[in-house]
Amino acid sequence: MSLHPTVITLPVAIPLLLGAAGMFLQFLQLPRRLQIQQTLVGGGVIVNLAVALLLLVFVLNKGPVAYQMGLWTPPFGITVYLDALSAIMLVMVALLSVLIFPFALATIDSERAQLGFFPMMLFLLMGANGAFLTGDLFNLYVFYEVMLMASFVLLTVGGTPSQVNGGIRYVVLNLVGSMMLLLAAGVSYGTLGTLNMAHIAVRMNDAPYLVQAMIAGLLLIAFGAKAAVFPVFFWLPSSYHTPHPVVTALFSGVLTKVGMYSMFRIFPLFFPWLLNSWQPLLMAIAGLTMVVGVLGAFAQPTIRRLLSFHIISQIGYMVMGLAVAMTPNPYGVGFGLALAILFLVHNQIVKTALLLGGGAVELEMGTGKLNELGGLVRLKPLQATIFFIAAFSLAGFPPTSGFIGKLGLLEVTFSSGQWVIAGVSVFVSLLTTMSMIRLWQYIFWGKPHRHPPTSRRRMEPNYAWMTTAPVITLVALSLALGLFAQPALDVVQTAANQAIDRAAYVKTVGPMLTEQDLRIAPPEWGLTDLGQATELAGR
Amino acid sequence: MIEIYLRLVDKILTPVILLIAIFLFLRGHDLPGGGFIAGLVAASAIELTILARGTQATRDRYGPWAVPLAGAGLTIAVGAALLGMYNGGFFRSIWLEFSMTGEKLKFGTPQLFDLGVMFVVVGMAITYLLRLGEAAEAAVTEQTRLGRQTEDRQR
Repeated sequence: MSLHPTVITLPVAIPLLLGAAGMFLQFLQLPRRLQIQQTLVGGGVIVNLAVALLLLVFVLNKGPVAYQMGLWTPPFGITVYLDALSAIMLVMVALLSVLIFPFALATIDSERAQLGFFPMMLFLLMGANGAFLTGDLFNLYVFYEVMLMASFVLLTVGGTPSQVNGGIRYVVLNLVGSMMLLLAAGVSYGTLGTLNMAHIAVRMNDAPYLVQAMIAGLLLIAFGAKAAVFPVFFWLPSSYHTPHPVVTALFSGVLTKVGMYSMFRIFPLFFPWLLNSWQPLLMAIAGLTMVVGVLGAFAQPTIRRLLSFHIISQIGYMVMGLAVAMTPNPYGVGFGLALAILFLVHNQIVKTALLLGGGAVELEMGTGKLNELGGLVRLKPLQATIFFIAAFSLAGFPPTSGFIGKLGLLEVTFSSGQWVIAGVSVFVSLLTTMSMIRLWQYIFWGKPHRHPPTSRRRMEPNYAWMTTAPVITLVALSLALGLFAQPALDVVQTAANQAIDRAAYVKTVGPMLTEQDLRIAPPEWGLTDLGQATELAGR
Repeated sequence: MIEIYLRLVDKILTPVILLIAIFLFLRGHDLPGGGFIAGLVAASAIELTILARGTQATRDRYGPWAVPLAGAGLTIAVGAALLGMYNGGFFRSIWLEFSMTGEKLKFGTPQLFDLGVMFVVVGMAITYLLRLGEAAEAAVTEQTRLGRQTEDRQR
């Protein structure tokens, strides 16, 4: 099987083209323009999933691919890089968007649809896909901005006061994160003289520790703010419960996970040695994120507030996996990263299932307040069952994907000698189980509430299958991932091996980078004086 | 809000500014200029119209076109990038050369891309300039109303 390298730009081009066409259609006074727009968007997410699956199969068999935009040579043009890690993320985000689309079709009211909800979904998808694919630090910033703008529109579309309030907090705090990313790109350009990620990786080897620490620190803050880790998570719980439930589900599957993906991509590529020397810092972040997230969840009065604190708590596990990625252990270097990727995939599936299930309850009952719900197990036995399985998958019970992810992470942290964080993660798992039982009890158990506020119902009942089928599919996926863990582990192991293989990254992007680098390296990093460097460059 | 002399300036200057925008757009491939700058200059011409004629008249004239223009611009830009696939890859440029009265003229997909960028910038800029203008006009009307009320009360 051979593939033209241009194909790897399609996950960016398809959503952008169809989103733009949808936006163009939006204000033309065509009859049935909303239907045309929805067909475009539905076709877009399905084609995107097909392309992503094709790319994943290709990359798993043939190894990473790179493409240079406009065929310019690497340090000057924009590089697009695809390996198994980015392909897995592409497939997951494409899959989630395909499953969320029917739910959105059933529940988005015509007012929000008129304001361009569906094209914005595609723009968000395009931003995420671009962030997964890009091999250029500044371009990564641009795609983060695309995502930020699209998500800001999705957050505030509908325009209730609480939405605007949450949206402003969201956008201000995320802009600070983006600023840090931009600063890191600036520092990289000013000190290393390049923005191409492969080129940065090559030059980082000889860079002074101060430069390394500065770029790593800025990137840690930037991606940490996007992924909602401990000191910079507060934008998430203050905004995620305000928009339409579909939007919350989409955000939880895409936004924070892009931040996590960027950490998985950048840290092993730029400075793998810092993952070891900064391990205590990363462990502290991971532990505090887990504990603070799960304790915050106990105090929350509504379904979505509670679940958004669990998003934060689960991010801690992924940071823990990343922190042990470069530590030698019996399973081989990189096994921690493999499990972190598996946990990320599991989390995307299960968290979206919970938020969609909880969102359907909220839409049908007209309220998300835990003390106004109850006794739904008689009314909706199917929904209650799948929500139960999803909740226990989040808590980490066998035979679901959560069990495999948590067991593997525990195994690898124990064998790396990180007892403290392993203990904390077990404790947090216990608290997560308690919190999930509490949530399920409040919604489905007990007596039905005396006055079910059905007057505030926001969903047509005959569309119920469109909201239930995606959740069933996601829960089935979680079970499948738990039951067939070995193939899944093989895939993520390949992804992790490709992600930590810096030499292969540089070689795929441009073999000329290393050679050229010797010629124009700044004099203070090895060559004796500027004259010698100029002389070498002249050869 | 609507000023007589600004209307005169608008009549004279708006076409000139639009011509400058087109000039900057065409010049932009090798020299300073290009789609983004041209879009901003064209938007400044429309802002002049807003100042001279008020938001209502401007919205009647340009309002329905703003967002479709941005959508069309994005479509054109991506289309230009996709055309490059014919020549070897996404975003690869294709050039056509003409000679006209001894001058060599080059047209290519980068210009098409720039045109798309210009449309997006103009469309988005019109949208928010109109909204800003409306908010400002509402605030001014409110202030004059309040001012009149206090004057009445003082009498």
